[in-house]
Amino acid sequence: MGGISGQAKPVKSLVSGPVAGIASFIIPGLGQILAGQFRRGLLLLGSMGSSIMLLFWRAHLLAHREIGVFDKFVKALNRRPFFTGLLIACSVFLWVWNAWDARRQTRPDRRGGFGIFILIILIFFALGWQISQIDLYKMVVELPDALPPLSKVLWPWKAAVTRETEVVSAGADILIGCDDNPPLLPEEVPGKPYLMADPTCGELSRMDESNQVVKGSTLTLTGRGFAPNTETQIWWADSMGNEFRPRQEREYVTVHTDENGAFKLKLIMPYRLIPPSAEGQQIHRVEARQISAVGNLIIADPLKLTLGRMAETIFMGMMATFFGILFAVPISFLAARNLMAGSWITMSIYYLTRTILNIIRAIEPLIWALIAVVWVGLGPFAGIIALTIHSIASLGKLYSEAIENIDPGPIEAIQATGATWLQTIMYAVVPQMVPPFVSFSIYRWDINVRMSTIIGLVGGGGIGFLLVQYIRLLDYRSAGIAVWFIAITVAMLDYVSSEIRQRFV
Amino acid sequence: MLEIKNLTKVYDDGTVALRDLNFNVESGEFLVIIGLSGSGKSTLLRCINRLIEPTQGKIIWEGIDITSAEPAQLRKIRRQIGMIFQHFNLVNRSNVLTNVLSGRLGYVNPLTSIYHGFPEKDRKLAMQALERAGIADQAKKRADELSGGQQQRVGIARALMQQPRMILADEPVASLDPVLAHTILGYLESMNQDEGITVLCSLHYLDLIQRYATRVIGLRDGQIVYRGSREDIRRMTDDEFKEIYGEEAVRVSAGRTEKGVE
Repeated sequence: MGGISGQAKPVKSLVSGPVAGIASFIIPGLGQILAGQFRRGLLLLGSMGSSIMLLFWRAHLLAHREIGVFDKFVKALNRRPFFTGLLIACSVFLWVWNAWDARRQTRPDRRGGFGIFILIILIFFALGWQISQIDLYKMVVELPDALPPLSKVLWPWKAAVTRETEVVSAGADILIGCDDNPPLLPEEVPGKPYLMADPTCGELSRMDESNQVVKGSTLTLTGRGFAPNTETQIWWADSMGNEFRPRQEREYVTVHTDENGAFKLKLIMPYRLIPPSAEGQQIHRVEARQISAVGNLIIADPLKLTLGRMAETIFMGMMATFFGILFAVPISFLAARNLMAGSWITMSIYYLTRTILNIIRAIEPLIWALIAVVWVGLGPFAGIIALTIHSIASLGKLYSEAIENIDPGPIEAIQATGATWLQTIMYAVVPQMVPPFVSFSIYRWDINVRMSTIIGLVGGGGIGFLLVQYIRLLDYRSAGIAVWFIAITVAMLDYVSSEIRQRFV
Repeated sequence: MLEIKNLTKVYDDGTVALRDLNFNVESGEFLVIIGLSGSGKSTLLRCINRLIEPTQGKIIWEGIDITSAEPAQLRKIRRQIGMIFQHFNLVNRSNVLTNVLSGRLGYVNPLTSIYHGFPEKDRKLAMQALERAGIADQAKKRADELSGGQQQRVGIARALMQQPRMILADEPVASLDPVLAHTILGYLESMNQDEGITVLCSLHYLDLIQRYATRVIGLRDGQIVYRGSREDIRRMTDDEFKEIYGEEAVRVSAGRTEKGVE
């Protein structure tokens, strides 16, 4: 009985059953209000009103080109028959039920009943499903897309180490547009790799008026004196020295040397726009390169950078906690009710401090970081400022509550021994304050390091700065290394901080 | 030894806790104050060492008016008056020895004591006080690891460390069970009889009052409604006791009678 309405004593209905039913049919909930179930009626009015408004909104989004409510719903039904149909059916059913419920509420012995609210919750659930664009089909079917980056993030260690490389290369000059004196073949030095192009002049690939590729001249490249049985890359450099790897059949041009370190291949001269302002002979260069890993394993750049940024992150968290404590301790005294209860002046300082702390705390550190980046520029200092501001507010509140919870008994007892003010503080107040202060501070350090791992996403320095760059470059292995180090650091910190806190409480 | 003259205490919210009290405490007495909760017993005891500032009146300790004493002088007076509390008021997170040593704070150098530096003789004194209270083996434990009875013994040891001339005991046994009550009051009695320490103690149970008090003052609504000598108390009946406590005492008395029957 009366589970949702929560009425303490039965209120007499102002109207008869049918009247209440009709009233609710005109305005949902009105009949319940007239029947004396004020809160139930208000709840029904609010929830039905908002669900119907949401339904209109979704129908409008599905059929924004249609004019007229009816046309919109027809179009919406066409586009999403299941969703729109279900919601319309439920809403109509709910409307009728609401009228029937109003009639029922007029009878004191039949009050309450929460079935109608279950239906309302179901309608909201369906709306929520659609509004938040949940798509289980896509989620299952497109799962394979997520697997390559996921596997790289989960096991990124291939990118953590590398070997020093050695480049063996030889090149030949190519003249664009043949004339009377094409470039001479390079001189062959015994024992050094050698590359010969035939001919040494030709036309580059280009686009015609209809954007079709017109293939350039074909060069025959002959290489000698390279390392045997090794993959060799072909590079092209224009007259400005800009290098790139030409592609043929969508693949970079590469060739395998034979057992004597020689190769022969045909290369279609690549596409390269020669600016109209270019004057004189355009001499390009084709090069064959063998890159071989030699020497010991060395730590790759992603791992090096990650370690450096991780250290930066931990220290950001530490500095922010340190500054936070520094400011929060004095502020917490102003925010402690028991210390400020003296007069209306101190009480208004108390309320002012509390309000400011609550407002600051309500704003996420990421938002403070955005402001701090404008203030002091990109980098860890901006992150420290953001975290410090948030720490002051949180610690200030926690500290002040610790002060409020202090037991006045020991203070009284120590005063009674003839102790001075300072002795009373040291013997009765400090022992009570130290455990919560230490505990809260360590916990805050823990939070700050965790926060500083992501504060870099908005430019606040630390490992997040690196992580977001790797993600944007689609370098999932390097991003994975950063993610791993964040996880390791946070887990370790979690353990350490809970150990320390247990010692003190 | 102690003279209370026209003592009145009115709290900020207008509550009158004490109304014009007048009485003397003689050296070596075991003076018991009785009265309902809220009758002003705790306020009276705390006015004597000015944990609560009296509104009016004088409290003369050995010829010096406590109510007008300067802070330094007040501390000197306070260290001669030990205090024991209903809820023990130990610093829970400090160990037992530190709690006992803190009774010495009025004597030691205010600066060196900040970092817990106490003279060797004070440490010896503390161990002696703990031995006397029978809890020397608990010295290194945290105060909140001890049972209620043990904690009150630490409280007594702390008061003893002051080498007091008087002890104020604010319902020292009200949060202990009756068996422990006799142990605790036994310590107070032996201090009173062996060392001549004056005891000013608030109590609730008639049997305890009859057993330990040398004189009784009854308080009701901040006024003295009863003064009785040792002999008066011994002769006191439940009905008279009820009279001091007023209408509401029926239940207290009934509970006591039942226990008597057992």
